[in-house]
Amino acid sequence: MSEAVYGSKFQQILSRRKKHKAIRYALYGVVVILVLFSIESTIIGDTDWDRIGTIGSVFRALARFLPPDFSLFAQLLKPTIETFMIACLGTMLSLILAIPVSWFAAYNITPYRPITYPIGRGIMTLSRSVHEIVWGLIFVSAVGLGAFPGILAISMRSIGFISKLTAEAIEDIDPGPLEAIRSTGANQLQVILYGVIPQILPVYLGNAIFQWDINIRRATIMGLVGAGGLGLTFHRQLVMYNYGGVTTVIIAILFLVGIGEVGSYYGRKAIL
Amino acid sequence: MPTLEVNDLRIRYTRSGPEILKGVSFNVEKDDFFAIIGPSGAGKSTLIRCINRLVEPNGGQIILNGKIITNMGKHELRAARRNMGMIFQEFNLVERMSVMDNVLSGRLGYVGTFRSFLRWYPRSDIQRALELLEKVGLADFVDKRADELSGGQRQRVGIARALIQQPQLLLVDEPTSSLDPKIARDVMRMIKSMSQDAGVPVLCNIHDVQLALEFSNKVIGLQDGVKKFDGPTGAVDKSTLDEIYAMEVL
Repeated sequence: MSEAVYGSKFQQILSRRKKHKAIRYALYGVVVILVLFSIESTIIGDTDWDRIGTIGSVFRALARFLPPDFSLFAQLLKPTIETFMIACLGTMLSLILAIPVSWFAAYNITPYRPITYPIGRGIMTLSRSVHEIVWGLIFVSAVGLGAFPGILAISMRSIGFISKLTAEAIEDIDPGPLEAIRSTGANQLQVILYGVIPQILPVYLGNAIFQWDINIRRATIMGLVGAGGLGLTFHRQLVMYNYGGVTTVIIAILFLVGIGEVGSYYGRKAIL
Repeated sequence: MPTLEVNDLRIRYTRSGPEILKGVSFNVEKDDFFAIIGPSGAGKSTLIRCINRLVEPNGGQIILNGKIITNMGKHELRAARRNMGMIFQEFNLVERMSVMDNVLSGRLGYVGTFRSFLRWYPRSDIQRALELLEKVGLADFVDKRADELSGGQRQRVGIARALIQQPQLLLVDEPTSSLDPKIARDVMRMIKSMSQDAGVPVLCNIHDVQLALEFSNKVIGLQDGVKKFDGPTGAVDKSTLDEIYAMEVL
Protein backbone atom coordinates (compact mmCIF):
# COMPACT_ATOMS: atom_id res chain seq x y z
CA MET A 1 0.00 0.00 0.00
CA SER A 2 1.45 3.30 -1.00
CA GLU A 3 1.86 6.18 1.44
CA ALA A 4 -0.94 8.25 -0.07
CA VAL A 5 -3.46 5.40 -0.22
CA TYR A 6 -2.59 4.47 3.35
CA GLY A 7 -3.15 8.06 4.48
CA SER A 8 -6.54 8.40 2.82
CA LYS A 9 -7.64 5.03 4.22
CA PHE A 10 -6.65 6.22 7.68
CA GLN A 11 -8.65 9.44 7.26
CA GLN A 12 -11.64 7.46 6.08
CA ILE A 13 -11.61 5.21 9.15
CA LEU A 14 -11.26 8.25 11.44
CA SER A 15 -14.21 10.06 9.93
CA ARG A 16 -16.37 6.95 10.04
CA ARG A 17 -15.62 6.47 13.73
CA LYS A 18 -16.48 10.08 14.37
CA LYS A 19 -19.84 9.65 12.63
CA HIS A 20 -20.67 6.55 14.71
CA LYS A 21 -19.84 8.45 17.88
CA ALA A 22 -22.21 11.25 16.89
CA ILE A 23 -25.04 8.78 16.25
CA ARG A 24 -24.44 7.11 19.60
CA TYR A 25 -24.62 10.38 21.55
CA ALA A 26 -27.76 11.38 19.67
CA LEU A 27 -29.38 8.09 20.76
CA TYR A 28 -28.38 8.68 24.40
CA GLY A 29 -29.97 12.10 24.16
CA VAL A 30 -33.24 10.69 22.83
CA VAL A 31 -33.41 8.13 25.68
CA VAL A 32 -32.81 10.80 28.33
CA ILE A 33 -35.52 13.05 26.85
CA LEU A 34 -38.00 10.13 26.78
CA VAL A 35 -37.34 9.29 30.43
CA LEU A 36 -37.74 12.91 31.52
CA PHE A 37 -40.96 13.22 29.56
CA SER A 38 -42.39 10.04 31.15
CA ILE A 39 -41.53 11.25 34.66
CA GLU A 40 -43.15 14.60 33.98
CA SER A 41 -46.39 13.22 32.59
CA THR A 42 -46.94 10.20 34.88
CA ILE A 43 -45.42 11.04 38.25
CA ILE A 44 -45.39 14.81 38.49
CA GLY A 45 -48.60 15.38 36.57
CA ASP A 46 -50.65 12.37 37.70
CA THR A 47 -50.00 12.16 41.44
CA ASP A 48 -52.45 13.71 43.90
CA TRP A 49 -49.77 15.59 45.83
CA ASP A 50 -52.18 17.05 48.38
CA ARG A 51 -53.09 13.60 49.75
CA ILE A 52 -49.56 12.41 50.33
CA GLY A 53 -48.97 14.88 53.12
CA THR A 54 -45.77 14.89 55.10
CA ILE A 55 -43.13 12.18 55.24
CA GLY A 56 -44.34 11.44 58.75
CA SER A 57 -47.85 10.61 57.57
CA VAL A 58 -46.47 8.24 54.95
CA PHE A 59 -44.70 6.30 57.68
CA ARG A 60 -47.76 6.41 59.92
CA ALA A 61 -49.82 4.85 57.16
CA LEU A 62 -47.24 2.11 56.67
CA ALA A 63 -47.07 1.48 60.42
CA ARG A 64 -50.73 0.50 60.47
CA PHE A 65 -49.71 -2.77 58.79
CA LEU A 66 -47.83 -3.77 61.95
CA PRO A 67 -47.99 -5.85 63.99
CA PRO A 68 -49.45 -8.78 62.02
CA ASP A 69 -52.84 -10.02 63.19
CA PHE A 70 -51.97 -13.54 64.35
CA SER A 71 -55.54 -14.36 65.35
CA LEU A 72 -56.13 -14.87 61.62
CA PHE A 73 -53.71 -17.78 61.44
CA ALA A 74 -56.22 -20.60 61.93
CA GLN A 75 -58.43 -19.27 59.15
CA LEU A 76 -55.52 -19.06 56.75
CA LEU A 77 -54.65 -22.74 56.55
CA LYS A 78 -57.42 -23.70 54.17
CA PRO A 79 -56.98 -20.84 51.65
CA THR A 80 -53.19 -21.35 51.73
CA ILE A 81 -53.56 -25.00 50.76
CA GLU A 82 -56.18 -24.00 48.20
CA THR A 83 -53.81 -21.48 46.64
CA PHE A 84 -51.10 -24.09 46.41
CA MET A 85 -53.50 -26.55 44.79
CA ILE A 86 -54.74 -23.96 42.30
CA ALA A 87 -51.14 -23.43 41.21
CA CYS A 88 -50.38 -27.16 40.98
CA LEU A 89 -53.56 -28.17 39.16
CA GLY A 90 -53.46 -25.11 36.91
CA THR A 91 -49.89 -25.93 35.89
CA MET A 92 -50.72 -29.59 35.27
CA LEU A 93 -53.73 -28.72 33.14
CA SER A 94 -51.68 -26.24 31.13
CA LEU A 95 -48.95 -28.86 30.63
CA ILE A 96 -51.49 -31.16 29.03
CA LEU A 97 -53.13 -28.44 26.94
CA ALA A 98 -49.74 -27.13 25.81
CA ILE A 99 -48.87 -30.42 24.10
CA PRO A 100 -51.23 -30.07 21.11
CA VAL A 101 -50.57 -26.33 20.97
CA SER A 102 -46.81 -26.78 20.73
CA TRP A 103 -47.27 -29.59 18.21
CA PHE A 104 -49.35 -27.25 16.01
CA ALA A 105 -47.04 -24.30 16.52
CA ALA A 106 -43.73 -26.03 15.77
CA TYR A 107 -42.95 -25.16 12.17
CA ASN A 108 -41.14 -28.41 11.37
CA ILE A 109 -43.71 -30.95 12.62
CA THR A 110 -47.03 -29.07 12.46
CA PRO A 111 -49.59 -31.44 10.87
CA TYR A 112 -50.81 -29.12 8.12
CA ARG A 113 -48.74 -25.95 7.92
CA PRO A 114 -51.13 -23.45 6.26
CA ILE A 115 -53.86 -24.10 8.86
CA THR A 116 -52.51 -25.67 12.04
CA TYR A 117 -49.42 -23.47 12.36
CA PRO A 118 -51.37 -20.17 12.57
CA ILE A 119 -53.86 -21.81 14.95
CA GLY A 120 -51.06 -22.86 17.29
CA ARG A 121 -49.35 -19.47 17.16
CA GLY A 122 -52.70 -17.71 17.63
CA ILE A 123 -53.58 -19.65 20.79
CA MET A 124 -50.11 -18.88 22.10
CA THR A 125 -50.48 -15.14 21.58
CA LEU A 126 -54.01 -15.06 22.97
CA SER A 127 -52.93 -16.90 26.10
CA ARG A 128 -49.99 -14.62 26.74
CA SER A 129 -51.58 -11.30 25.93
CA VAL A 130 -54.49 -11.64 28.36
CA HIS A 131 -53.58 -11.03 32.01
CA GLU A 132 -54.33 -13.77 34.57
CA ILE A 133 -56.74 -11.47 36.42
CA VAL A 134 -58.68 -10.95 33.19
CA TRP A 135 -58.72 -14.71 32.59
CA GLY A 136 -59.96 -15.03 36.18
CA LEU A 137 -62.80 -12.58 35.56
CA ILE A 138 -63.78 -14.44 32.39
CA PHE A 139 -63.89 -17.84 34.10
CA VAL A 140 -65.62 -16.56 37.25
CA SER A 141 -68.42 -15.28 35.08
CA ALA A 142 -68.42 -18.55 33.13
CA VAL A 143 -68.27 -21.17 35.91
CA GLY A 144 -68.94 -19.19 39.10
CA LEU A 145 -66.88 -18.37 42.19
CA GLY A 146 -64.32 -20.67 43.80
CA ALA A 147 -61.07 -22.43 43.05
CA PHE A 148 -62.15 -23.97 39.75
CA PRO A 149 -62.16 -20.72 37.70
CA GLY A 150 -58.78 -19.98 39.31
CA ILE A 151 -57.38 -23.25 38.02
CA LEU A 152 -58.73 -22.55 34.54
CA ALA A 153 -57.40 -18.99 34.54
CA ILE A 154 -53.92 -20.09 35.64
CA SER A 155 -53.77 -22.81 33.02
CA MET A 156 -54.97 -20.56 30.22
CA ARG A 157 -52.34 -18.00 31.14
CA SER A 158 -49.57 -20.65 31.24
CA ILE A 159 -50.30 -22.41 27.95
CA GLY A 160 -48.72 -19.64 25.92
CA PHE A 161 -45.42 -19.62 27.78
CA ILE A 162 -44.98 -23.40 27.94
CA SER A 163 -46.04 -24.07 24.37
CA LYS A 164 -43.96 -21.20 22.98
CA LEU A 165 -40.76 -22.49 24.54
CA THR A 166 -41.64 -26.10 23.75
CA ALA A 167 -42.41 -25.30 20.11
CA GLU A 168 -39.11 -23.47 19.83
CA ALA A 169 -37.30 -26.47 21.33
CA ILE A 170 -39.03 -28.70 18.77
CA GLU A 171 -37.89 -26.43 15.96
CA ASP A 172 -34.31 -26.72 17.21
CA ILE A 173 -34.09 -30.51 17.48
CA ASP A 174 -31.53 -32.60 15.66
CA PRO A 175 -33.35 -34.00 12.58
CA GLY A 176 -31.03 -37.02 12.40
CA PRO A 177 -32.86 -39.31 14.84
CA LEU A 178 -36.18 -38.42 13.15
CA GLU A 179 -34.78 -39.59 9.86
CA ALA A 180 -33.53 -42.80 11.46
CA ILE A 181 -36.87 -43.55 13.11
CA ARG A 182 -38.74 -42.76 9.89
CA SER A 183 -36.48 -45.12 7.95
CA THR A 184 -37.53 -48.07 10.14
CA GLY A 185 -41.05 -47.78 8.74
CA ALA A 186 -42.45 -45.98 11.80
CA ASN A 187 -45.58 -43.84 11.45
CA GLN A 188 -45.70 -40.10 12.15
CA LEU A 189 -46.83 -40.54 15.75
CA GLN A 190 -44.03 -42.99 16.45
CA VAL A 191 -41.54 -40.58 14.90
CA ILE A 192 -42.74 -37.93 17.35
CA LEU A 193 -42.70 -40.36 20.29
CA TYR A 194 -39.17 -41.60 19.61
CA GLY A 195 -37.52 -38.80 17.68
CA VAL A 196 -39.00 -35.59 19.06
CA ILE A 197 -40.15 -36.16 22.64
CA PRO A 198 -36.89 -37.53 24.10
CA GLN A 199 -35.07 -34.53 22.69
CA ILE A 200 -37.39 -31.89 24.15
CA LEU A 201 -38.36 -33.55 27.43
CA PRO A 202 -35.73 -31.77 29.57
CA VAL A 203 -36.72 -28.37 28.19
CA TYR A 204 -40.41 -29.12 28.67
CA LEU A 205 -39.99 -30.25 32.28
CA GLY A 206 -37.69 -27.33 33.09
CA ASN A 207 -40.30 -24.90 31.80
CA ALA A 208 -43.01 -26.74 33.70
CA ILE A 209 -41.17 -26.22 36.98
CA PHE A 210 -40.44 -22.59 36.20
CA GLN A 211 -44.08 -22.01 35.31
CA TRP A 212 -45.28 -23.76 38.47
CA ASP A 213 -43.14 -21.40 40.51
CA ILE A 214 -44.68 -18.40 38.74
CA ASN A 215 -48.18 -19.86 39.07
CA ILE A 216 -47.90 -20.00 42.86
CA ARG A 217 -47.49 -16.21 42.76
CA ARG A 218 -50.37 -15.87 40.32
CA ALA A 219 -52.63 -18.10 42.41
CA THR A 220 -52.20 -15.81 45.43
CA ILE A 221 -54.02 -12.99 43.67
CA MET A 222 -56.74 -15.02 41.94
CA GLY A 223 -59.01 -14.46 44.95
CA LEU A 224 -59.18 -10.72 44.21
CA VAL A 225 -61.67 -11.53 41.45
CA GLY A 226 -63.34 -14.36 43.37
CA ALA A 227 -61.35 -17.20 41.87
CA GLY A 228 -60.32 -18.83 45.16
CA GLY A 229 -57.29 -18.96 47.41
CA LEU A 230 -55.50 -16.46 49.62
CA GLY A 231 -56.39 -13.49 47.46
CA LEU A 232 -59.96 -13.56 48.74
CA THR A 233 -58.82 -13.42 52.39
CA PHE A 234 -56.41 -10.64 51.43
CA HIS A 235 -59.19 -8.66 49.82
CA ARG A 236 -61.48 -9.17 52.81
CA GLN A 237 -58.87 -7.91 55.29
CA LEU A 238 -58.23 -4.90 53.10
CA VAL A 239 -61.88 -3.85 52.83
CA MET A 240 -62.33 -4.36 56.60
CA TYR A 241 -59.35 -1.98 57.15
CA ASN A 242 -57.69 -4.78 59.15
CA TYR A 243 -54.17 -3.92 58.00
CA GLY A 244 -52.58 -6.30 60.52
CA GLY A 245 -54.55 -9.09 58.84
CA VAL A 246 -53.24 -7.99 55.45
CA THR A 247 -49.70 -8.41 56.79
CA THR A 248 -50.54 -11.91 58.01
CA VAL A 249 -51.81 -12.87 54.57
CA ILE A 250 -48.66 -11.45 53.01
CA ILE A 251 -46.59 -13.63 55.37
CA ALA A 252 -48.57 -16.67 54.23
CA ILE A 253 -47.93 -15.68 50.59
CA LEU A 254 -44.21 -15.31 51.28
CA PHE A 255 -44.23 -18.78 52.82
CA LEU A 256 -45.89 -20.26 49.72
CA VAL A 257 -43.54 -18.46 47.35
CA GLY A 258 -40.65 -19.78 49.42
CA ILE A 259 -41.94 -23.32 48.90
CA GLY A 260 -42.07 -22.58 45.17
CA GLU A 261 -38.46 -21.38 45.15
CA VAL A 262 -37.16 -24.39 47.07
CA GLY A 263 -39.29 -26.84 45.11
CA SER A 264 -38.20 -25.51 41.73
CA TYR A 265 -34.54 -25.50 42.82
CA TYR A 266 -34.62 -29.20 43.64
CA GLY A 267 -36.87 -30.04 40.70
CA ARG A 268 -34.49 -28.41 38.25
CA LYS A 269 -31.52 -30.18 39.82
CA ALA A 270 -33.29 -33.53 39.41
CA ILE A 271 -33.77 -32.94 35.67
CA LEU A 272 -30.17 -31.92 34.94
CA MET B 1 -33.93 -61.15 -10.20
CA PRO B 2 -31.79 -58.48 -8.56
CA THR B 3 -32.66 -57.47 -4.98
CA LEU B 4 -32.70 -53.78 -5.89
CA GLU B 5 -33.25 -52.26 -9.28
CA VAL B 6 -32.74 -48.55 -9.81
CA ASN B 7 -33.77 -47.16 -13.20
CA ASP B 8 -33.06 -43.67 -14.46
CA LEU B 9 -33.31 -42.04 -11.04
CA ARG B 10 -33.64 -38.27 -11.18
CA ILE B 11 -34.02 -35.63 -8.52
CA ARG B 12 -33.87 -31.91 -8.03
CA TYR B 13 -34.62 -30.33 -4.66
CA THR B 14 -36.23 -27.20 -5.99
CA ARG B 15 -38.11 -26.75 -9.22
CA SER B 16 -35.57 -24.36 -10.71
CA GLY B 17 -32.52 -25.74 -8.89
CA PRO B 18 -29.84 -27.96 -10.35
CA GLU B 19 -30.52 -31.63 -10.97
CA ILE B 20 -28.74 -33.60 -8.23
CA LEU B 21 -29.13 -37.01 -9.84
CA LYS B 22 -29.27 -37.09 -13.62
CA GLY B 23 -30.69 -40.48 -14.48
CA VAL B 24 -28.76 -43.05 -12.43
CA SER B 25 -29.40 -46.77 -13.01
CA PHE B 26 -27.89 -49.86 -11.40
CA ASN B 27 -28.78 -53.24 -9.92
CA VAL B 28 -27.86 -54.73 -6.56
CA GLU B 29 -27.71 -58.52 -6.37
CA LYS B 30 -28.43 -60.70 -3.36
CA ASP B 31 -24.82 -61.05 -2.20
CA ASP B 32 -23.44 -57.65 -3.17
CA PHE B 33 -21.53 -55.21 -1.03
CA PHE B 34 -21.95 -52.16 -3.20
CA ALA B 35 -19.78 -49.11 -2.60
CA ILE B 36 -20.83 -45.74 -3.99
CA ILE B 37 -17.82 -43.48 -4.31
CA GLY B 38 -17.36 -40.00 -5.67
CA PRO B 39 -16.38 -36.46 -4.72
CA SER B 40 -18.45 -34.54 -2.17
CA GLY B 41 -21.53 -33.03 -3.73
CA ALA B 42 -21.78 -35.83 -6.28
CA GLY B 43 -25.18 -36.90 -4.89
CA LYS B 44 -24.15 -40.00 -2.93
CA SER B 45 -26.24 -39.25 0.16
CA THR B 46 -29.18 -38.14 -1.94
CA LEU B 47 -29.02 -41.40 -3.90
CA ILE B 48 -29.11 -43.50 -0.72
CA ARG B 49 -31.98 -41.46 0.69
CA CYS B 50 -33.98 -41.84 -2.50
CA ILE B 51 -33.98 -45.62 -2.15
CA ASN B 52 -36.23 -45.56 0.93
CA ARG B 53 -37.75 -42.22 -0.11
CA LEU B 54 -36.52 -40.15 2.81
CA VAL B 55 -35.96 -37.88 -0.17
CA GLU B 56 -38.60 -38.01 -2.89
CA PRO B 57 -37.18 -38.62 -6.36
CA ASN B 58 -38.68 -36.68 -9.27
CA GLY B 59 -38.29 -39.40 -11.82
CA GLY B 60 -37.18 -42.96 -12.38
CA GLN B 61 -38.01 -46.22 -10.73
CA ILE B 62 -36.84 -48.09 -7.64
CA ILE B 63 -37.77 -51.75 -7.36
CA LEU B 64 -37.05 -53.79 -4.23
CA ASN B 65 -37.60 -57.54 -4.70
CA GLY B 66 -40.14 -56.96 -7.41
CA LYS B 67 -42.07 -54.24 -5.58
CA ILE B 68 -42.02 -50.77 -7.08
CA ILE B 69 -41.13 -48.40 -4.25
CA THR B 70 -41.49 -45.23 -6.27
CA ASN B 71 -45.26 -45.36 -6.77
CA MET B 72 -46.26 -46.61 -3.33
CA GLY B 73 -48.70 -44.73 -1.10
CA LYS B 74 -47.80 -43.68 2.43
CA HIS B 75 -48.97 -46.87 4.06
CA GLU B 76 -47.28 -49.21 1.60
CA LEU B 77 -44.10 -47.15 1.79
CA ARG B 78 -43.92 -47.61 5.56
CA ALA B 79 -44.24 -51.34 5.11
CA ALA B 80 -41.51 -51.26 2.45
CA ARG B 81 -39.20 -49.23 4.68
CA ARG B 82 -39.28 -52.03 7.23
CA ASN B 83 -37.39 -54.09 4.68
CA MET B 84 -34.56 -51.58 4.39
CA GLY B 85 -32.22 -51.07 7.32
CA MET B 86 -30.28 -47.82 7.38
CA ILE B 87 -27.00 -46.84 9.02
CA PHE B 88 -26.06 -43.16 9.29
CA GLN B 89 -22.97 -41.01 9.34
CA GLU B 90 -23.97 -39.27 12.57
CA PHE B 91 -25.38 -42.52 14.04
CA ASN B 92 -28.73 -40.78 14.63
CA LEU B 93 -29.46 -42.61 17.86
CA VAL B 94 -32.02 -41.25 20.28
CA GLU B 95 -29.49 -39.83 22.73
CA ARG B 96 -31.60 -39.89 25.86
CA MET B 97 -32.79 -43.47 25.41
CA SER B 98 -31.06 -46.65 26.53
CA VAL B 99 -29.00 -48.76 24.15
CA MET B 100 -31.64 -51.50 24.33
CA ASP B 101 -34.50 -49.13 23.48
CA ASN B 102 -32.48 -47.71 20.61
CA VAL B 103 -31.97 -51.16 19.11
CA LEU B 104 -35.64 -52.03 19.69
CA SER B 105 -36.69 -48.85 17.87
CA GLY B 106 -35.67 -50.73 14.72
CA ARG B 107 -38.86 -52.76 15.23
CA LEU B 108 -41.15 -49.72 15.32
CA GLY B 109 -42.56 -50.58 11.91
CA TYR B 110 -43.90 -53.83 13.37
CA VAL B 111 -45.37 -52.72 16.70
CA GLY B 112 -48.45 -50.54 17.05
CA THR B 113 -48.34 -46.92 18.14
CA PHE B 114 -49.80 -47.66 21.56
CA ARG B 115 -47.41 -50.51 22.26
CA SER B 116 -44.45 -48.44 21.12
CA PHE B 117 -45.56 -45.63 23.47
CA LEU B 118 -45.36 -48.05 26.39
CA ARG B 119 -42.22 -49.63 24.89
CA TRP B 120 -43.99 -53.00 24.98
CA TYR B 121 -41.99 -55.02 22.50
CA PRO B 122 -42.57 -58.75 21.97
CA ARG B 123 -40.20 -61.02 23.89
CA SER B 124 -38.76 -62.32 20.63
CA ASP B 125 -37.71 -58.77 19.68
CA ILE B 126 -35.97 -58.22 23.00
CA GLN B 127 -34.19 -61.54 22.67
CA ARG B 128 -33.09 -60.70 19.15
CA ALA B 129 -31.91 -57.26 20.28
CA LEU B 130 -29.79 -58.87 22.98
CA GLU B 131 -28.31 -61.34 20.48
CA LEU B 132 -27.38 -58.50 18.15
CA LEU B 133 -25.87 -56.42 20.95
CA GLU B 134 -23.85 -59.48 21.93
CA LYS B 135 -22.63 -59.76 18.34
CA VAL B 136 -21.53 -56.13 18.16
CA GLY B 137 -19.88 -56.50 21.56
CA LEU B 138 -22.20 -54.26 23.54
CA ALA B 139 -24.03 -56.82 25.68
CA ASP B 140 -22.73 -55.10 28.81
CA PHE B 141 -24.08 -51.72 27.71
CA VAL B 142 -27.75 -52.66 27.44
CA ASP B 143 -28.95 -50.20 30.08
CA LYS B 144 -26.49 -47.41 29.30
CA ARG B 145 -27.91 -44.29 27.73
CA ALA B 146 -26.84 -43.75 24.13
CA ASP B 147 -25.18 -40.41 24.94
CA GLU B 148 -22.78 -42.17 27.30
CA LEU B 149 -21.20 -44.17 24.47
CA SER B 150 -18.19 -43.40 22.31
CA GLY B 151 -18.54 -42.83 18.57
CA GLY B 152 -17.56 -46.36 17.62
CA GLN B 153 -19.92 -47.85 20.18
CA ARG B 154 -22.77 -45.66 18.95
CA GLN B 155 -22.25 -46.80 15.40
CA ARG B 156 -22.36 -50.41 16.58
CA VAL B 157 -25.74 -49.68 18.19
CA GLY B 158 -26.75 -48.20 14.82
CA ILE B 159 -25.73 -51.43 13.10
CA ALA B 160 -27.77 -53.49 15.56
CA ARG B 161 -30.77 -51.21 15.06
CA ALA B 162 -30.60 -51.63 11.29
CA LEU B 163 -30.23 -55.41 11.45
CA ILE B 164 -33.04 -56.02 13.95
CA GLN B 165 -35.38 -54.94 11.16
CA GLN B 166 -34.38 -58.19 9.42
CA PRO B 167 -34.04 -56.15 6.27
CA GLN B 168 -33.72 -57.29 2.67
CA LEU B 169 -31.31 -54.47 1.97
CA LEU B 170 -28.93 -52.43 4.07
CA LEU B 171 -28.52 -48.74 3.19
CA VAL B 172 -25.36 -47.31 4.67
CA ASP B 173 -24.58 -43.59 4.50
CA GLU B 174 -20.94 -42.68 5.20
CA PRO B 175 -20.67 -44.98 8.23
CA THR B 176 -17.11 -44.05 9.04
CA SER B 177 -16.85 -40.29 8.52
CA SER B 178 -17.39 -39.47 12.19
CA LEU B 179 -14.88 -42.09 13.38
CA ASP B 180 -11.12 -42.32 13.61
CA PRO B 181 -9.34 -44.51 11.01
CA LYS B 182 -8.85 -47.61 13.13
CA ILE B 183 -12.42 -47.68 14.43
CA ALA B 184 -13.67 -46.88 10.94
CA ARG B 185 -12.08 -50.09 9.67
CA ASP B 186 -13.53 -52.09 12.60
CA VAL B 187 -17.00 -50.73 11.86
CA MET B 188 -16.71 -51.58 8.15
CA ARG B 189 -15.56 -55.09 9.03
CA MET B 190 -18.54 -55.47 11.34
CA ILE B 191 -21.03 -54.25 8.73
CA LYS B 192 -19.53 -56.63 6.18
CA SER B 193 -19.50 -59.74 8.37
CA MET B 194 -22.90 -59.16 9.91
CA SER B 195 -24.57 -58.45 6.60
CA GLN B 196 -23.01 -61.58 5.17
CA ASP B 197 -24.25 -63.67 8.11
CA ALA B 198 -27.75 -62.24 7.66
CA GLY B 199 -27.58 -62.66 3.88
CA VAL B 200 -28.38 -58.99 3.27
CA PRO B 201 -26.91 -57.02 0.37
CA VAL B 202 -25.37 -53.67 1.26
CA LEU B 203 -25.48 -50.36 -0.56
CA CYS B 204 -22.88 -48.22 1.09
CA ASN B 205 -21.84 -44.74 0.16
CA ILE B 206 -18.38 -43.92 1.31
CA HIS B 207 -15.95 -41.19 0.35
CA ASP B 208 -12.89 -43.09 1.62
CA VAL B 209 -11.74 -44.87 -1.54
CA GLN B 210 -9.35 -47.16 0.25
CA LEU B 211 -12.05 -48.53 2.55
CA ALA B 212 -14.43 -48.81 -0.39
CA LEU B 213 -11.99 -50.92 -2.39
CA GLU B 214 -11.14 -53.03 0.62
CA PHE B 215 -14.65 -54.07 1.59
CA SER B 216 -16.84 -53.91 -1.51
CA ASN B 217 -17.24 -56.35 -4.37
CA LYS B 218 -18.86 -53.77 -6.66
CA VAL B 219 -18.37 -50.06 -7.08
CA ILE B 220 -20.42 -47.22 -8.49
CA GLY B 221 -18.57 -44.02 -9.25
CA LEU B 222 -20.77 -40.94 -9.10
CA GLN B 223 -19.74 -37.56 -10.39
CA ASP B 224 -22.05 -34.57 -10.32
CA GLY B 225 -25.17 -36.75 -10.41
CA VAL B 226 -23.96 -38.93 -13.25
CA LYS B 227 -22.83 -42.53 -12.99
CA LYS B 228 -19.25 -42.61 -14.28
CA PHE B 229 -18.38 -46.16 -13.37
CA ASP B 230 -20.24 -49.34 -12.47
CA GLY B 231 -18.40 -52.62 -12.13
CA PRO B 232 -16.61 -55.11 -9.95
CA THR B 233 -14.18 -53.66 -7.43
CA GLY B 234 -11.30 -55.48 -9.10
CA ALA B 235 -11.81 -53.43 -12.26
CA VAL B 236 -11.23 -50.11 -10.48
CA ASP B 237 -7.79 -48.76 -11.30
CA LYS B 238 -6.05 -45.44 -11.16
CA SER B 239 -7.53 -44.15 -14.40
CA THR B 240 -11.12 -44.84 -13.29
CA LEU B 241 -10.50 -43.03 -10.01
CA ASP B 242 -8.92 -40.14 -11.90
CA GLU B 243 -12.02 -39.92 -14.03
CA ILE B 244 -14.47 -40.08 -11.11
CA TYR B 245 -12.58 -37.47 -9.12
CA ALA B 246 -11.59 -35.35 -12.13
CA MET B 247 -13.87 -32.47 -11.23
CA GLU B 248 -12.87 -32.26 -7.61
CA VAL B 249 -11.42 -28.91 -6.70
CA LEU B 250 -10.44 -27.73 -3.27
